[in-house]
Amino acid sequence: METRIVNLKEIVGIIGGRILTKQPKFDTEIPSCGASDLMSDALSFMKPGSLLLTGLVHSQSVRTAEMAGLAAIVYVRGKIPAPEVISLADELSIPLIASPYGMYEICGRLYSAGLDPVMK
Amino acid sequence: MAQVPKFTKVQELIYELPIERVMKKDVVKVTPDTSMTELKEILRLNRISGVPVLEGEKLVGVISIEDLIKALVQGDVQAPVRKRMTTQLITVLESESVVEAVKKFAQYKVGRLLVVNEQGQLRGILTGGDITRGLLETISLDYHAEEISRYRAKHIFEDIISDQTSLILRYKVKAKDFKKAGNASSKLKRALDRLGAVPEVIRRVAISAYEAEMNLIIHADEGGELTAELQPEVIRVTAIDHGPGIPNVDQAMSPGFSTAPNWIRELGFGAGMGLMNIKRCADSMRLESTVGKGTRLEIVVFLRQESGEQQTPDEERGPQPS
Amino acid sequence: MMSLKEIIEELVLETVSSVRLTNRPVAGGYAADLLSCAMKGAKKDYLWVTLQSHLNVVAVASLLNLAGVIITEGNRPDPETIARAEEEKVALILTPKTTFTVVGELTLLGVRGEP
Repeated sequence: METRIVNLKEIVGIIGGRILTKQPKFDTEIPSCGASDLMSDALSFMKPGSLLLTGLVHSQSVRTAEMAGLAAIVYVRGKIPAPEVISLADELSIPLIASPYGMYEICGRLYSAGLDPVMK
Repeated sequence: MAQVPKFTKVQELIYELPIERVMKKDVVKVTPDTSMTELKEILRLNRISGVPVLEGEKLVGVISIEDLIKALVQGDVQAPVRKRMTTQLITVLESESVVEAVKKFAQYKVGRLLVVNEQGQLRGILTGGDITRGLLETISLDYHAEEISRYRAKHIFEDIISDQTSLILRYKVKAKDFKKAGNASSKLKRALDRLGAVPEVIRRVAISAYEAEMNLIIHADEGGELTAELQPEVIRVTAIDHGPGIPNVDQAMSPGFSTAPNWIRELGFGAGMGLMNIKRCADSMRLESTVGKGTRLEIVVFLRQESGEQQTPDEERGPQPS
Repeated sequence: MMSLKEIIEELVLETVSSVRLTNRPVAGGYAADLLSCAMKGAKKDYLWVTLQSHLNVVAVASLLNLAGVIITEGNRPDPETIARAEEEKVALILTPKTTFTVVGELTLLGVRGEP
């Protein structure tokens, strides 16, 4: 699979996403992507600057993005985090995006679009 | 990343800044036929102390307030500039660095230097004040680029004389408080950022501290304390609690082993990867525990790239050791 | 519709339990690490992709009659979990790749997610 660098705007389009936080920098380039609901796992293998796909809408997903230096979080399956989670993300300038599609569907779409998986 | 003290920065800049960057380009000039009275007004209105004298495009002299005062004293205010001007032109090239101007100022004790190009044409004027202002502007620009606000706090380690200086940050962590989980680590991360630590070091410390904090929240009966001791070369993060203690430390360290209740998994933790993550991020780690008394986890991250054995953060993905 | 066996071969995956049962058809794919999500969303004959490798994964797979579970990122279930998988006739399949990659590859093979 040929990989290429995709930016946030393109990703939001591909996954039918809705921005939950304040307007992010849409031209932010996303070098890679990972899907996980386990934060310890995300902390361990996500590269700084990458995109996290998750169904975990708890504030821990935002904290994980903060500690690991992630570019943004996509919440799958139409899940929306609580308002205090969104404000925390705004404070930390971490964009949160909600997508109606399931994790499987989103991975399929982004992978087909050429997004690089976060791998060793 | 070594900090560059302001002192050295200024010295560097004096050698690096070209005169054309700091000179005044908008030059007020007079002709040789301008009268001293007119000159007085020109100097007053423009609030300057001297001007070059140009005959057409040609630079022929320079005239200053001192010359004006002498003319006044001698009752010669109607004289043309031509009569009272200095024809000895002290010039510098626009392409030369500021240090050349500094040397000329010291040598000739003039108030201003005429800046010319290779062909001898007037390109600008330079005073001591212009040099100072130019240096300050350039330094502040550079500092913005380097985010000097981060280095400011780093002075703690350099301004304070001692055999060893450390900054200790303590955070209390409440048991089972999942809403606040990550708060302490987040504050620590921001402190490190302000102190000018390298992003990669900040990330490794942040992840280690976060996992340690989660463990305190998940397992410790009464919560515990997360302490970070910061020294110029090393950061030591310690997580301490007073119960329940770990019966088998080796087992606790093995990946996938977890005593966390199942519902913790729904919060994204409890898969038994926390300690492994810490081990991977830290340069060294020590876990001590006594059942019934408590647990102490110590994590060390070196700040300088050369000292200690640095683990690369993204190694060891793939099959876990059996 | 592809069979589990074909998928395992195409993607070069490793099986650790219920190897004989890989002829069953795969109706679709589902990805989640949170058990509560999987319980709600994974359907009969679906392939569940997750990095979780503990006992509860087998329980869920059995309950929902899934085609199998692909455990990602090189995680390995412990012997107890493998034994339980054999008992419950749950196919456990391993890969060093990430969930994102495996799902991507499955998608390219034509294994769809929920509509």
